[in-house]
Amino acid sequence: MYCPFCGQQNTAATGRCAHCGQSLQPYAGAQSPTYQRRPDIPTYLVQAILVTMFCCQPFGIVAIVYAALTTSKISSGDYAAAMECSRNAEKWCWLAFWLGLIPMLLYAIFIGVGIASGSMH
Amino acid sequence: MRQGKRLLQFIALAITAVIVVILLFTYNPASSGVFPPCPFHKLTGLYCPGCGSLRALHQIFHGQIAAAFGLNCLMVLSLPFIAYGLLAQSLRYFFNIKIPTVFIPARWIWALFILIIAYTIARNIPLSPFTWLAP
Repeated sequence: MYCPFCGQQNTAATGRCAHCGQSLQPYAGAQSPTYQRRPDIPTYLVQAILVTMFCCQPFGIVAIVYAALTTSKISSGDYAAAMECSRNAEKWCWLAFWLGLIPMLLYAIFIGVGIASGSMH
Repeated sequence: MRQGKRLLQFIALAITAVIVVILLFTYNPASSGVFPPCPFHKLTGLYCPGCGSLRALHQIFHGQIAAAFGLNCLMVLSLPFIAYGLLAQSLRYFFNIKIPTVFIPARWIWALFILIIAYTIARNIPLSPFTWLAP
């Protein structure tokens, strides 16, 4: 199973996560919702909105969809599924980020080469 | 070791952020060639939801909130959320300082998703009330 705290995969038999040491037991809060502690699964919503608003291409929207899916899985207590969606959100954020950044870098190199070759003549 | 890596990441990120802010403050993306044209807009001729963001940031840095709003109102509205979210995550990641964050329910995110799609469609309609949304 996936650890709801750090997201690493563990063999189902272990009582504690081999990576971060948190308990893998079902939440005590499941019986008493007042004390339910939400596990720390990132939704990447902030990053998703950021790449949507600044990276000039539509892949950030996909990341927002995965942020929404992550949130709804956390709310319904399905932490393994939430972890999967969280990873997809992260993946799409990075994809959008690099697809936005690479043309900018190429442009910067292009301009730089243009200035350099211009100054030689 | 991990602390050292995070410190390096923090320094690299801080330097990048300062350079970007200085560039954006100094050069107006609307008139200078320092910033690249958007490849998506170049290829399709369409405005994406982020179109006008850099020009709007330039205006915000010069205190022209109204002008920024005219370039990309959705970006300006989402800016406080993005800024606070990035601050909270950075403090937590680099310094292990936790400031309160709001758990945003899934239906709000779906509403945002629909809003962005609607915004993207609306700002590409070349008719009178919608052209106001175009950058």
